Amino acid sequence: MAHFVLPNSGHNYDPESSKLGMWLFLFTEILLFGGLFIVYFVYRTINADAFLRASYELNITMGTINTIILITSSMTVAMAITALQKGKEKFAINLLWITLLFAIAFLINKYFEWSIKIEHGIFPGMEHYNGLETGQKLYFFLYYFMTGLHALHIIVGAIFIGFVIKGIQEEKVTANRISLLENSGLYWHLVDLIWIYLFPLFYLIN
Amino acid sequence: MEDHTKEKQHIVSYKENFGTWLGLMLLTALTVAVSVVNASLITLTVVTALVIATTKAILVAYYYMHLKFEPKIYRIMLLIITLLFSSFMLLTVLDYLSR
Repeated sequence: MAHFVLPNSGHNYDPESSKLGMWLFLFTEILLFGGLFIVYFVYRTINADAFLRASYELNITMGTINTIILITSSMTVAMAITALQKGKEKFAINLLWITLLFAIAFLINKYFEWSIKIEHGIFPGMEHYNGLETGQKLYFFLYYFMTGLHALHIIVGAIFIGFVIKGIQEEKVTANRISLLENSGLYWHLVDLIWIYLFPLFYLIN
Repeated sequence: MEDHTKEKQHIVSYKENFGTWLGLMLLTALTVAVSVVNASLITLTVVTALVIATTKAILVAYYYMHLKFEPKIYRIMLLIITLLFSSFMLLTVLDYLSR
């Protein structure tokens, strides 16, 4: 029997396809959150006043801090790509670590935000929540569901970036094989994008 | 064959990355300011909020997600998805507004 070696075996690197695949995945994410935003708009149309009253419970300062955190972390990921393209692995890794720190800061902030509300009894099933009018209940339900799903994406994105850091250290992700870093960046920016809409719609409208 | 793996990429400079950040921060400051000031003349309506958020989204997509430097097909795909979603949204809201 002849010994066969498949051409390209184990070394298929196709940056264009993997980027296209990542974008297609991001489109499904857009539609996932998009569906929730439609629910939000429908209930807001029906319960405009109740949504408004409920939104005053949210802390604008905390929301603004989290917005700044996410926008800045998007910049550090984008800069990490620039750094790796220029061959500065060390700097790229540091920038990604900073991004992870921002992700943790975002989650800690979110944790305090949620716990303050839960302490006040505002969580589906709790006494204070049950006494609210329907529109306010819907608002808080959507608030927990959408920011919760978003926080889950932050966690996934942070794990993804963790793998990329490992990849750069092991020289599997380099200036010539940058796809993994680029895709983690795309994912991270999408998470930022979703927050860009969540923040004004839940915290700011008056 | 090796050349194939070397992409001819546009490298976005640190300066451009920072510039985008600055733009995003200014727009954030704008939305928060309009909301907090809460003057009777300027209130942050859903439409204002969406316009500012969409401007920020375009900044992120074009510069951070490199859409500006990608082949045209990416922008076309994103446009199709955006139109698809907008039409879902429009039809649903129209339905509820016209009841």
